[in-house]
Amino acid sequence: MGRLIKAEIRKTLSTKSWWGLMIPAVVFSFLFAMIWGFIVGDINDYLGGSDARELASLMGVELGNLPVGLLALGHGVNIGTLFPVIFGVYALAGEYAKKTITTTFLTAPNRGAALTAKMITYIGWGAVYGIIIVGSASLGTLLTVDEVGMPSASQWMAVLGGGILATILATLFGIGVGAVWKSVVGATITLTIWMLIVENVLVFAAFGWLEVRWLGGVLPNGTLNGIVGAIGAEAFGAAGVTVPGDLNEDLQWLLQFTAGAPGAFSWWAAALIFFAWTMAFFLSGWAANKRRDIT
Amino acid sequence: MHDGSGRIAVHDLTKQFGPVAAVQNLSFTVEPGTVTGFLGPNGAGKTTTLRMLLGLVTPTAGTATINGRPHAQLGNPGRVVGAVLENEGFHPKRTARNHLRVYAAAIGVPDQRVEEVLNLVGLSTAGDRKAGGFSLGMRQRLALATALLGDPQVLVLDEPANGLDPEGIAWLRTFLRSYASQGRTVLVSSHLLSEVEQTIDQVVIISAGMTRYYGPLEQLRASQRSRVLVQPADANALVTALQGAGVTQVEPTQDGRVAVTGATVQQIGDIAAKASLAVYGMEEEKADLEKLFFQLTSPQYGATAPPAYGQQPPGGFGGGYPGGQGGYPQQQPYQGAQQQYQTPPGGYQQAGQQQGWGGPQ
Repeated sequence: MGRLIKAEIRKTLSTKSWWGLMIPAVVFSFLFAMIWGFIVGDINDYLGGSDARELASLMGVELGNLPVGLLALGHGVNIGTLFPVIFGVYALAGEYAKKTITTTFLTAPNRGAALTAKMITYIGWGAVYGIIIVGSASLGTLLTVDEVGMPSASQWMAVLGGGILATILATLFGIGVGAVWKSVVGATITLTIWMLIVENVLVFAAFGWLEVRWLGGVLPNGTLNGIVGAIGAEAFGAAGVTVPGDLNEDLQWLLQFTAGAPGAFSWWAAALIFFAWTMAFFLSGWAANKRRDIT
Repeated sequence: MHDGSGRIAVHDLTKQFGPVAAVQNLSFTVEPGTVTGFLGPNGAGKTTTLRMLLGLVTPTAGTATINGRPHAQLGNPGRVVGAVLENEGFHPKRTARNHLRVYAAAIGVPDQRVEEVLNLVGLSTAGDRKAGGFSLGMRQRLALATALLGDPQVLVLDEPANGLDPEGIAWLRTFLRSYASQGRTVLVSSHLLSEVEQTIDQVVIISAGMTRYYGPLEQLRASQRSRVLVQPADANALVTALQGAGVTQVEPTQDGRVAVTGATVQQIGDIAAKASLAVYGMEEEKADLEKLFFQLTSPQYGATAPPAYGQQPPGGFGGGYPGGQGGYPQQQPYQGAQQQYQTPPGGYQQAGQQQGWGGPQ
């Protein structure tokens, strides 16, 4: 297995896709964290005003010194996770596209071993992406959010942990979709459109017209975002904790949305549900690849 | 674990792609120390068979083993079998050297081996170029280098001469011969017999997914017999003269000449001279391997063929063609040729009858 993992690492390092996808991951995480940092800074200023403070205290929330930086971090990390998904698509679908899968299977004891080595290697790559993405989002946050809005050290560590978990799962999710579909272009374009547009529209439409608030809490992009987003939402009492009084459900959803996790139940529920999505694709891709004829 | 014999055994192998039977009940063995040609027209099922042998395609029925084991049970397969396949992929942006380093790691050979195989196939100066910029011939060399990484006991090559220049083909011949002479096994497919004729000593000929001939090339070669095409002034008189002289294998040809088998140009000339017959021309015609190959494989295209070929792939393995039917390669193919001469599509029989020879008149 060590041999195959070494081969997988050499495989990724000898082409450009690992850093070619890391550059936009860094740039987008940084920019989104900055943009949201500016926005939430304003919100915090507004919320610090007397009217809002009075209103919020009725709901049992202490305003003005909320760790709004978490919102910036959450959005930065969320946009970044798109890139490890695409990186994961390249891992296996890319081998089919370039037909290197033939040699990969010919030089591995069996297909299961080849796929296991790939999975282990890409868990490592997912973690590297996680650290880089959380790092860029943190930088964007630090540059824009006031000291008063900064998350605590433990919250930051939670974001780092959640971010790494999210990017590892995102990578495996990409591998799984690529393994099922076998087309780099098709899977990449579809996943990008789905994650950036389609699912958001669905979640909004469900909320606006059908008053369904939980949809974002179960769909792939929502749950992937929810892993880190819910950490922020929880800090505002909008997810995972019992809200004192009854925070208006719509307001709660909007707060979750602001945190980047509309409908998220809690960070760990989001992680579990996204893990289920990942496994659904990964295992069906695995089964397909163990039997597929390479012609 | 595998038995280390170096033997390839294909037994009753069948592959069905939906309604298409790509391979049907194919059986043959390839012994170590030989270069075996795996021949058949395009679409005969060669590539599918090789891919089943290499574990890339799952057989519908039957087995294909190397060293007594299917590919997935070879342990570290790169050490046992190396393969050069058609349309083999290289990442276009990865250099040749990096490509080899990836698979050297997978097989578990030191990186030094990468330089060795690059040298061996003559790509050492192109090692840092990206495979995407390689010519077809260079890609074939890189594929061969990849196959050789694990210094395997068995080498399987699918149409390796494609894209190679004459020099490359000559080099490949020498290489495969020396590889086999080290006691290793080489199985090489081609759709052209002439391309591999000088390289191989055993041959498996398939067509339409079935075995047509399997045995030593020598035996097939022995069945080559030349015939002499004679253009006489009086065909009937010549045939009578020839038959009188004991030369009985005489047939008419489509263009009105007389095809004589079993006699040299000199002998025929002498017979004609003795009978005072005018002969305007004689031409020696080789029924070469290629023609034989075409006859063996032609059923795929629905042409007439001797029924015997399609019926039974040899049952015994390891012993070449079963001795009990030793006459088959010598006689049958040419008989097939005779049948074709006798029943050509162009209504030739009528012409023959008009001329009136060959019959009991």
